[in-house]
Amino acid sequence: MTELPSAVRRHRPAPMVRTVLRRPAALVCLAYLALLVLASLAAPWLAPHGPTATDLDHVLTGPGAAHPLGTDNLGRDVLSRLMYGGRPSLIDAAVAASTVLVVGAGCGVTAGFLGGWFDRVFSWAVDVMLAIPVLVTLLVVLAVVGDHQVLAMAVLGVLVSPGVARVVRGATLAVRQELYVAAARVSGLGRRHILVRHVLPRVAGPVVVQVSLFAGGALMIDAGLSYLGFGADPPTPTWGNMIADAAAVTDRQPWLLAPPGVVLGLAILACGVLGDAVRDAGAGRSTTATPPAPRSRPSRSRASRPRKGTSHPPVPASRTDSSPALLSIHDATVALPGPHGMTTVVEGVDLDIGPGETVGLVGESGCGKSVTGRAILGLLPGRGEITEGSIVFDGTELVGADPRTVRALRGRRIALVSQTPLTSLDPVIPVGGQIAELVRRHHGGTRRAARARAVELLRAVRVAEPEHVATCHVHELSGGMAQRAAIALALAGEPDLLIADEPTTALDAGVRAEVLDLLRQVQRERGLAVLLISHDWKVISRMCRRTYVMYAGQVVESGPTADLLAHPRHPYTAGLLASAPGRAAPREPLRAIPGTVPAPHEWPPGCHFAARCALATPACAAAAVPLLEPAPDRGTRCLRHTELGKGDDRDRATAVRS
Amino acid sequence: MTERPPYVPETAADEGHPYAPDTAVAARPPTDATEPLLEVQELSVSYGRRGRSRHPLRPAVDGVTLRLSRGETLGLLGESGSGKSTIGKAILGLVRPAAGRIVFHGAVQDEDITHAPPARRRRLARHIQVVFQDPYGSLNPSRTIGQTLSEPLHITRRHTRGQAAARVSDSLNLVGLTADAAERYPAAFSGGQRQRIAIARALVLEPDLIVCDEPTSALDLSVQAHVLNLLVELQQTLGVAYLFISHDLDVIRHVAHRAAVLRGGTVVEEGTADRLTTRPSHPYTRTLLTA
Repeated sequence: MTELPSAVRRHRPAPMVRTVLRRPAALVCLAYLALLVLASLAAPWLAPHGPTATDLDHVLTGPGAAHPLGTDNLGRDVLSRLMYGGRPSLIDAAVAASTVLVVGAGCGVTAGFLGGWFDRVFSWAVDVMLAIPVLVTLLVVLAVVGDHQVLAMAVLGVLVSPGVARVVRGATLAVRQELYVAAARVSGLGRRHILVRHVLPRVAGPVVVQVSLFAGGALMIDAGLSYLGFGADPPTPTWGNMIADAAAVTDRQPWLLAPPGVVLGLAILACGVLGDAVRDAGAGRSTTATPPAPRSRPSRSRASRPRKGTSHPPVPASRTDSSPALLSIHDATVALPGPHGMTTVVEGVDLDIGPGETVGLVGESGCGKSVTGRAILGLLPGRGEITEGSIVFDGTELVGADPRTVRALRGRRIALVSQTPLTSLDPVIPVGGQIAELVRRHHGGTRRAARARAVELLRAVRVAEPEHVATCHVHELSGGMAQRAAIALALAGEPDLLIADEPTTALDAGVRAEVLDLLRQVQRERGLAVLLISHDWKVISRMCRRTYVMYAGQVVESGPTADLLAHPRHPYTAGLLASAPGRAAPREPLRAIPGTVPAPHEWPPGCHFAARCALATPACAAAAVPLLEPAPDRGTRCLRHTELGKGDDRDRATAVRS
Repeated sequence: MTERPPYVPETAADEGHPYAPDTAVAARPPTDATEPLLEVQELSVSYGRRGRSRHPLRPAVDGVTLRLSRGETLGLLGESGSGKSTIGKAILGLVRPAAGRIVFHGAVQDEDITHAPPARRRRLARHIQVVFQDPYGSLNPSRTIGQTLSEPLHITRRHTRGQAAARVSDSLNLVGLTADAAERYPAAFSGGQRQRIAIARALVLEPDLIVCDEPTSALDLSVQAHVLNLLVELQQTLGVAYLFISHDLDVIRHVAHRAAVLRGGTVVEEGTADRLTTRPSHPYTRTLLTA
């Protein structure tokens, strides 16, 4: 791809080697291992003395000028012996590690990738091999083959391979099931090609970690065998027999233990650290690939943001109901920690829910719907915080309140039903037990009464055979049944407000209708207020009397659902409605909103939608747009909403463009 | 291919059905195309180990028969577990059918691809391609877009580097991306852009058929609109046929010429997408419509 402009090149991540070398720890380890290899290779030239040259005048001396690391009990130079001894030790470890790489990783990858009979034979063989005691077998082998250390280390590699192979097989199996592998097969790529290009790079991480850890272990075992007298015959040095010699005279010269011990220990450590670094570099390379440098905009200081009420007179879009709101969010701003520091993800949200009212909060992913729901519950992820505004629930201010106050409300007065019941229910406790636990926690009573209440709640959410379902674990239930159980769980504390975050998104159409009916039923029967968070207009229009539309962290429009659907007062709402395929003529282009939702750190100071809006004027981008009231009980954050509402044409906004 | 199969509802003939006898094929809108492209006959697929079933397995797909013409979109509508994705996988050779036939009508000859051997399957790749639901899992995160897209060109078309790069950039342009996308990794793209890339990958070999397995289910409404527009537009310019698998009635109504409703591995109703989604005759389709 040489013909591509050089400007693009910047985005290419550095090659693997360079990524690894950029890590100081990895660099140090690599340098150390390279030093060991070089020193042992170059020992005949570099070593100050021969490995077996004795100097009986200087026995057991400490470090000095003539012998930098001292001499042993026969006056042999320790440094020279270390250098000469490195060669057999390192070769042995390399042999063992290579064997593991070829046999263990090779079999693991093959079994995981091919599956079928090979995999079955492999698994059976691994089970048998794992039952063999490694060290005993190794000693038997050494007894038979004599001092053939290389062969012994190869045997060690084979004996250790099953453990490595199992890990690698698991990793391969996971990669094999990735969609991109299926896509590669559909693309007509051969098995070998897929294995080399798609599977191997992804399992390289675990393989490298396993092999490098084992290489360290092999160094240790090799030294251990030498220590026991296997391996090279005495005058020839190895790290292991140097330690053995040193141990014999440790009462006269303890220093002797230090050089081989430290060299060996550091080598083992370096193998492990290097393996981790290579794995991390590989992972980092594929996940933090280089997006085109975004226009960096850290969380704006609040001073620079025009305050509502200073640049524009505030026109609160109030509910006309005279009843006091159960929940009243005013000008709430939420910041979450992100790659660009604390970033504002919800900005100046106003939202009211009356007692027993179902209110919709609609918008696309990443617009701040769920964060708003979590903020009410005081369950913001990470170090997220409400930086501004107020959330008043039934007369109690929740922003800045004592965590205990919020905790007391959670579950008992405000409950949550999330999108995935399978993750919101505990997998190890039966469903009935979880509900009973909450009933007792909130309302006390005996275990038996709580259990009975749990079954009653399950019956209330129209679970067939509630007694039986109460004893089931989550994984035994279907998606719809699990969501009913989650709703029963939410009802256990008899809350006044239910925050339903995409409660039916993961369900099939038929089940979805049933769950929505159920929600409406419990809402009516119990006078429950519901904040229904959804991206689905059908769900919203079916359930909610009033609806708030969110875009890029702001409520951009609000009003009675039917009116809002018929006469959207914000171009985003109009555009979103026009992009639904249900309303368009078949195969005619849908009126899609151009562009994409800006990330929170890219929000402009003015109207967040301006860049994608056909009606935008310079005034829109100039300053933050307040929530205006175009009609009674309606709110919009659009300066030009009159253009949109004109002539009763909801497609006007998009018509201008097309 | 002249006799109309018995499963085609009566209404289909009235509405310019693809299998109505007609000889003028060229330069006609896809709804009037008559040239068959793919036939699925009495297809059954069961999951689980073959030859070891102590319990009789309930098949995921049970005796499904479908037909698809050149340049046509056939919608497969169904809920999770209805077997709609399994049919797609069987056509792509990703699962082994237990019974039935899949016949692909190539430009030169008709052939049974039910159990195509690997080598033949690789050659089929230039005719049948896929777009999966998950825009995050379907692209190898450790390979650049250019590497992923050019791979099949090197292997099946024996393109040189230069030829492949040119074809990749053409393909990226077709889906509305610039050529420099080839140099980047999947992580640099949003879900909608990745789905465009997945479509570009499917297009790179200029296939006759693309199996679209819930291609917009993971996308937001406004992003979905862009992708649906793109798919429809590509069909109109390239004449590619789609087997469009979806659980969303509105999406099927929008993109498909004809549609089949699946439930429990069998087709409960089939007809033009318009009739199916406005005047369904089967009660199950009606519940889907009102849900």
